[in-house]
Parts: sequence; structure tokens; C-alpha cells
Amino acid sequence: MMNWSTHLLTEFFTAVNAAEDEQTAISNAVERATEMVEAEVGAVVREGKVLGAYGFGPAVPEAGLLAVATGDCLLEVAGLGELHAAPNPLGGEQADALIVARLNEPFGPEERQMLQGMAQVLGLALRSIRVLAAERHLRAEKEQQATSAQTRQRLVESLLTIQRAISARRPLPEILDAVTSGACELLDGVKVALLLAEGGPDRRLSVASTSGGTDGEPQPEGAARAAMASGTVVIRPDATGTVIAAPVRVTGEMAGCLVAHLSGSVDQYTEQRDQMDAFAQQVSLALTDAKTVEAVREAHHDPVTGLPNRALFLKILNRVLSSRGTSADPTSVLFIDLDRFKAVNDSLGHEAGDQLLALVARRLRGCVRASDTTARLGGDEFAALLHDSPMEAATIVGERVVSAIKEPFRVAGREIFIGASVGIAISREDAEKSETLLHNADVAMYRAKKDGPGRVLVYEPYMHVEALDHLSLRGDLQRALREGEFRLQYQPLIRLGDGMPTGVEALIRWHSPTRGFVSPVDFIPIAEEFGLIVDIGQWVLETSALQVARWRREFPDLGLNVNVSGHQLMHPRFSDTVLRALAIAGLPSSAVTLELTESVLMSEPDLGKAALGTLRGLGVQLSIDDFGTGYSSLAYLRELPVDELKIDRAFIARAELTGEDLALVRTIVELAQILGLRTVAEGIENAAQLEALRRLGCGYGQGYHLCRPTDAEELPSRLLTQLVEYR
Amino acid sequence: MLSNPHRWFGAGQSSAADSAKAGAEAAAEAIGGRVPKAVVVFASVAHDLPALISGVRAEVGPDAAIVGSTTMGELGNGGLTVGGVAVAALGGDGFTVHTRAAHIHESDPRAAGAAAAESLRGLHDDHKVLVLFCDGLTGHPHDIVRGAYSSVGATVPLVGGFGADDRRFERTYQFYGDEVLTNSVVGLALGSDGPIGIGVAHGWRRIEPPMIVTKSQGAHIFLLDDEPALDVLLRRNNFEGTADEFFHQGRQLQPLGLSRRNGEDIRVLHAGDDESRSVWGTADIPQGALVWLMEADRQALLDGATWSCTEALARLDGLAPLGVLAFDCAGRRVGLMEGGVDEEVAVMRDALHGAPFAGFYTSGEIARVRGASGVHHLTLVTLALA
Repeated sequence: MMNWSTHLLTEFFTAVNAAEDEQTAISNAVERATEMVEAEVGAVVREGKVLGAYGFGPAVPEAGLLAVATGDCLLEVAGLGELHAAPNPLGGEQADALIVARLNEPFGPEERQMLQGMAQVLGLALRSIRVLAAERHLRAEKEQQATSAQTRQRLVESLLTIQRAISARRPLPEILDAVTSGACELLDGVKVALLLAEGGPDRRLSVASTSGGTDGEPQPEGAARAAMASGTVVIRPDATGTVIAAPVRVTGEMAGCLVAHLSGSVDQYTEQRDQMDAFAQQVSLALTDAKTVEAVREAHHDPVTGLPNRALFLKILNRVLSSRGTSADPTSVLFIDLDRFKAVNDSLGHEAGDQLLALVARRLRGCVRASDTTARLGGDEFAALLHDSPMEAATIVGERVVSAIKEPFRVAGREIFIGASVGIAISREDAEKSETLLHNADVAMYRAKKDGPGRVLVYEPYMHVEALDHLSLRGDLQRALREGEFRLQYQPLIRLGDGMPTGVEALIRWHSPTRGFVSPVDFIPIAEEFGLIVDIGQWVLETSALQVARWRREFPDLGLNVNVSGHQLMHPRFSDTVLRALAIAGLPSSAVTLELTESVLMSEPDLGKAALGTLRGLGVQLSIDDFGTGYSSLAYLRELPVDELKIDRAFIARAELTGEDLALVRTIVELAQILGLRTVAEGIENAAQLEALRRLGCGYGQGYHLCRPTDAEELPSRLLTQLVEYR
Repeated sequence: MLSNPHRWFGAGQSSAADSAKAGAEAAAEAIGGRVPKAVVVFASVAHDLPALISGVRAEVGPDAAIVGSTTMGELGNGGLTVGGVAVAALGGDGFTVHTRAAHIHESDPRAAGAAAAESLRGLHDDHKVLVLFCDGLTGHPHDIVRGAYSSVGATVPLVGGFGADDRRFERTYQFYGDEVLTNSVVGLALGSDGPIGIGVAHGWRRIEPPMIVTKSQGAHIFLLDDEPALDVLLRRNNFEGTADEFFHQGRQLQPLGLSRRNGEDIRVLHAGDDESRSVWGTADIPQGALVWLMEADRQALLDGATWSCTEALARLDGLAPLGVLAFDCAGRRVGLMEGGVDEEVAVMRDALHGAPFAGFYTSGEIARVRGASGVHHLTLVTLALA
């Protein structure tokens, strides 16, 4: 939907700037503004006087209008009643304002922003009319008039250009370039930059577009930050001249700054300051319009689920916390994170993902009372606010959520299985902050997730320490990769029939200088979470391929098994990087088996199918790790080019296998035989297990009983020992 | 012979060729033997207008206020006349009537609106409305209505219409007492101790994509999206030919919608120039505005008519309507095409439950009930009295 207000501002601008005297400018402005927001009445308060009163008939409520100019938001009008009033400062020092007032309906944020823009435009026009009038007495009258009129005309023209870019739905960067080049042209080719604040707590400023000047000039970030902090245009000297910074808002919120660098001194540029201000107002509206999609996000409800978004949730939570009578009626916050959602989204597409989120939202609402609030915080994170809920009650709701989400969803014609982990925080103190409470629930959720999917945990202060640790772990991982702190161990795969080692599985190890030994179980999920897994996986592949290629001189048939994360598989150049690594190492592709976990393949059956197909076509083999733990589906075994099943250690973990265990393993083995796949039993720890598996016909095995994971330098001797034993 | 009730409203029409006779016939039907306070006359410029007004005067007596406008077609319970006359009359102690006329000066069209609005002065009835009959070819309809609104304020609603001269676009006339004026605004301030209802509806919709008016002056558009405006219209209507051919054979009236808070503010283009490649209508089209070409089908227009009548009646506090004044855009008539106008009249008759009505096809309608803007196009504005 196009934004009506942006277009009206340009119309308004044209109308106000056509005026040659103050009175006409004011009445044009008041009438247009009143009409455009469908208000009944309007006026300007300037230097303590009411001007251009419109729609009041004979009786103008002067006192009421003056009160509105200083902040009242209701205006009593005889014969009409109480109207919602919006005062909009004209800029300049006094409490001058363009006022409109409307029956029945208060002004929304977008309307207020437009009205603010209109008031700025009027203020600018009035000041320039006054300057013109004063200068008429000067000798340079004619020349000045011409320049000023020309400048105004140029301003109108560049605004029209931006307008066209917006209405033609040009890409945002193009619109932003139109903005800076328009401002640059207006200011005779000086350097103009549009800085936009990024999300996140530190709101880093990044340059969205620049025009004019030379590249070498400094980025006047200080002035930009000052303008954003004060919400007004800032003009100040710098080392090489003057900086003008005008704040840019999007949907009323500070979003960035339009900055110009001029070569003269500050006192020369009053008009340019006003022009930048008016221009920035226009930019604000342009961005509001162009970023409609994001505007929806910034509005209070999440468009996908219809639930309140994070901002609204926090607002509601704040209200609840501050209105609470005593600390005796606790408020609970549930932080709900979906398990495996990303996989669904990536494999079935965003549309299916959105459908799923909407269904999840519906189930969540069914888990709480009508008076409680559920929200979508973003991504696959949801929250619920439970009034008057002590820990026990909140935990029951949390468990209800987990079991509701565990039930299959029907999306895009198929059954989807996901799960949820829930963290709960309960307000204990009167003056608890909403952000803190939500954050604590988040921390508890994170902890719950760490223990495995589908859990509910209540926040305890110690978790906070863990969460901090989690964050620092990310930094450490980055360093580990950079500084080469990772190394590989290799665990042989043994052919059970004859005890012959046929290959090795590369296993990553991390000995952190600060943390000591960190288990992959702990750091791999974090590497995945922060996107480091692709680089780590690549390192593992390259290193192990080189290593195995070297060993193959002595053990020519030795194969290599490498674990691959779903994140790697999704990488568009995955197959290329695998092939490149093998080529560099000189390892034939047929010697390599990629291990993927069942859950990755299952939740993302279409994922990387093409990449796997390519690799398989070139001889790389595919293994399913941890087979039997996920939601086994025979269908994908047929569809995917699988060569090997690794039976999860959970099935053979008992020192003595029960009849049930054996039955399960037998089923898997028989299944593999039917499909012509190899089977590898993981975690073989004693002779009894080995014997049982051998009898069941399982082809290969891994485990401490056969051979522990070993450092590269020791592996050849281990392999030799194994061979000797076999012989 | 009827007695004079507390409030009454009547309507009449005539297609008589003789102007005096036509005026007299329509007026006689409207007053039905009662003594009117105000008589509203809608007549084609094809008539000898002074003769027509004398014909009306002879029927309605010396004290009745006469107001009205020339048209692009006259409307009443009997249907549409082109080249005819329709008359509405009202009277009774329950109504108060003041009138005022003002000449429109090119330099200050607002003043005329404000002066006509002075007719409201001294009117103290419970319910009030200002009905304006304006010249349709001044090019400043918005300023005229803004002038009226600035004087009246938001407490009194405005309705009315801009006159037409069939399809000549040369000169329109306004009736004020026994005078036939041009380039004027006539205000009829109507007070009543019964409720007054106003209905406003159209039946048009946008054709995407929108365009920016990149150059315009007054009611003239030169460039749309930096392309000559006439070229754009011809291209988007798949029409090959001259501007005259387009506006006389292709699209007689091309509606254009301006982006507004609650939808569109509609303008009607009725002419173009092959030389300058510009097009124009009767009202300002501001530079910088975002505009859509508009389209309608017959059913949407008919639904609009029903809605306008229903809305006006709904505001009568449950009372039955005495009668209705209708200001219907000529562009709608074009949109309805052959046969559609009869359907529209039938729809209005139904929606008004048979109450008498009189009105005309205008070159612009006036209605301000809420908000501040009062000029409409392609709209049916109805004023119902009870």
C-alpha cells in the first residue's frame, strides 16, 4: 500500500512555497494541513498570536489554541465539542506551531510525522519570506530574490525526483541516492551523506549513501550523533568548515542523520541549515514509505502471526509490572523458542515457515488464559506474559506449551514435527524491569535448550553466568579458528567380520588456552548458532583430507569419514568447496564419506539435495549419523543417495544388550541390507557388544573397545597394531 | 388544494420546448398549490433562462426565494431530462430560508464563497445547512468552497454543486431571485426544526499504477511522470487519435484520483491540447500529487447511488424523508452510459422510498460533513430533509 502522507507533503510544499507573503503562506498551510488529515479546524500560533484560523467560523478559541501550542492535546470548540489537537513546531526559538484539530479520531504517529514535516516546511517558508522582505530594502534585492526563489524551485524539483523514485517503488538504495544527490545539488555540490543507525544496542551509524565532495573528507559522525540525540538540526564548525546534521526519523523514531559538509563558517549557512532540516523531514517520510515492510515490523503487531511484537510485549509487560499492587502477585514471563524451525523454513520455504509460525501462535494462545498475553519476539521466538502466576502455575503452562508444539503441524501438505524449549522468569521485586525479566526468561530458555529439546526451566541467577560464558565462548571460538587452537583426532572404523580397519572418522578437538578442553558437544552448537560452523567444517575437511591422503600411501584403501553440519550443506558453494579440498589433498572422492545427522536430513529433506546429488555423482559417499534417534523415515532413505547408516550409540550403550535393543538393531541392519547400505555401529565398548553386533550382521563398528580416537601422529601405529591383531 | 403543512417539499419536471412554459410547469408540479419559501431550479442552458425564471416566478409568487443552476442534465422522480428543467420547492413554518449571491473575482475566488456563506447570518434554527450553487468554469472550485468553509466553520454542513452548460464548457449560469447570473456563487442558507441528512458516495476505483503530476498549473496537467500528460492518457486508454477525438469519442470524461488519507480526491479531465500535449479539467491538480486513473462499472456506480441516498436518509433520526436535493456528477452520467441513467433514477427512487427529489448533473459536487474539504467529483451528493 502506498503511503498517502508522503505525497501530500510534496503537494503541501508546493502550495506553501507558492505564497509570496506570510499571511498567504500561513492560510495556505493551515487549509492544506487541515484538509489533508481530514481535520475540522486549524491555525498557526506565531509569536503569541493566532493566525490563519480555519474552520472555526466566527468564534476562534484563541486561548485554547495558545494552550495547544504549548502542549495541550485537546481543544474545545464551540458548537463542535472537544477535538483532538496536534501542535507542530515551526522550528525557530519560540513556541510557534501549526495546529490542527479533529473530531472523533486522534492523530496517529504517521499523521503526526507528516504534520511535523508540514510545520517545518511552513517555518522555513515564513523565515525565508521574512528574510526576503528585510532584504528588499537592500541594494542586492533583485539578485537575492532570484537566488532564493531559484533555490526553492530546486528544492521542489529534487523532492519531486525522490517522490517519483518512491512511487515507482525503486529499490531503497536508489531512493537514498536520490536523497543525498538532491541535497548535494541544493547545497551547490558539497558533500552530503546519509547515515543510518543499525539495529542492536550500540546503534552503529553506517553510511547509506553519499553525494558530492571528495572521498577523503572525514565522516562527521559526532555532529550526526548530536543531532540524533537532540532531535534537532545541528550546525557546528569543524576543522575544515561547517557541518550541518539534520536528524532523520522513521515512523517517528530516530533512524539516522543527513549530514552536509560546507567549507565556510557557521554564520553563513542559516538558510542551508533550514533547507537541510526540511529535506531531512522529507527523507524521513520517504524512508517511512519505502520501508513499508519494516514499518510493519515496527508497528505493534507481527504480521505473520497477528501477535504483539517485541516492542508491544515489553510495553505491556512494563505496564503490568508498574501497576502491580504488591510483590505478592507475581508476574511470569515465558520465553519460548522453537526447535528445528529453521530447518523447516529453509527446506520448505519462507511461506511454509510463516504458515507454521501462524499455527504455532494459535496453539500458544490456546495454552494460556484469555487475559494473558502472547507475543512473537522475532524469528522462531515467542513469549507469554502470565498474570498472577506463581512458579508452579507458570511451569504447568510451560509444559503445556511444550506438549502442544510437539504435536505434528500440517503445513504445505505435509506433517511437520518441531518442538519448543521454554524458559520462565518470575518477577520477584516490585521495581523489576521488563527487559530484565524477558532477558532472564531468555537465559533460562537457553539453559533449557542446552539440556536437550522440549524442556521447561525456571530462571536461576547462576544461569546468567552461564549465559555470559556462552557469549564469550563465541569470541573464543573465533579466536580458536584464527589462532589454530583446533586439532583433529581420528577414530578408525573397523570391519567387524575380519577386524580390518577400513577408514577413519575425523573428530575435532579444542583445547582452549583459557577454558581447557572443551567438548564438541558444547561448542559445535554455538559454532552453528553464530555461523562459524562453515569455516570450522571447511578446516576439518581440508586438514583431514590432506592427512588421510598422506596415510593412504601406506594404507591404500583407507577411507575418511567427515561430519557435516546442516549449515554447511545449506551453503550455496558446499559441493565446490568439498571437491576443491579433495583435489588439493589429492584424495579420490570415492575415499570420502560425509556424515550427516538424521535430524538434519529429516527436518530438511530437500535441503542440499542438489549438492548431495552432485557430490554423489562424483563418487563421494553419504552416511547418516546417529541413525534411529530422529524421526526415521524410510522415504528419505530411498530419495537420498545414502551409502551408510551409523547406528546410534544409544542402542548399544547398555553393557549387556537386551532383547529389545537387539531387535531394534537387527531391524536397522536388515533394513540396510535390503537397501544395500553399509551399517556402522557406534560406541562399541566391550566384547559382548561386539559379539552381538557381529552376530546380527552389522558390517562395521567404532568404539573404545575397538580403537579410541587417536592423534594423527599415533594413528599409523594403531592401524598397524589393528592389522597385526587381525592377522 | 392542500393546506400549508409545517414543513413540506415538492419536486417537478418539464420537457416543454417553450422556456416560460417549462419553468411554469415544473414549478407548478413542485409547489402543488402550496406557498413556497424557496424554489430551486435546475435548467439546461438550451433554454431562454430569463424567460424560464419568469415562468417559475409567475407560479411561485413574489416572496419565494429562487436559486439554482444550469446543468449537464436534470434529474427528478420522472427521470433524466437533457435540455429540460427540474424544480424543487419547500415551505412551511418549520423552514427558514436566507439567500445571498456573490460575484467570483479571478483574483480572489475565496471571497465569493465567504460572501455567499454570509446567508447563514441570523439563521438560528436547530438544524442548518448551506447549499451552494457555483459557476462550474472558474477553475477554482476548491478556493470557493474553502472561502465558504472559512466563514461558516465546522458547525454547519455544506452541500451543493458546480453548474454546467450541457457539454459546451463555455458559460454556466446561476439563478438568484429573478436574476440569471454567471461567474457567481449563490448561497441558500436553510434552517429547519427537523433533521437534515447528507449522503456522499461514488463508485470508482483506481487503475494501477499511480503517477506523479510532475508539472501542472491550476487545472492543467502538462506532465505525468515526466511524460506529456496527453500521451499518457492516450497510451493508457489504448487510444490513437487527437485530444478532441479522445475526449469526444473515446473517454468523454477521464477521472483522475488524487491520493488522500481516506482514498481519493477525484478530478475529471474533459479536454486536451494536441500542441502542448496537456490535459485539463475544472479543478486544481497540484504539482507533486500522486494520481491514479479511475474506472467504474455500471453496477459500482449504481451501488454508489444507493449508498448516498441511504446514508442521507439514515441521518434523519428515523423520520421519513420529505424530499431530497441531488447533486450528481456529469462524469457519473458518462460512466453509466445509455440506459444506465434510467437505472440510476430507479435506484434512487427505491432508496428514497418514493420521496420527491430534484437535482442535476454537475461539473463538481460540494459536501462537507466532517473534515475540512468539501469539493468532490464523480460523486452523488444527496441532501435529505425531514
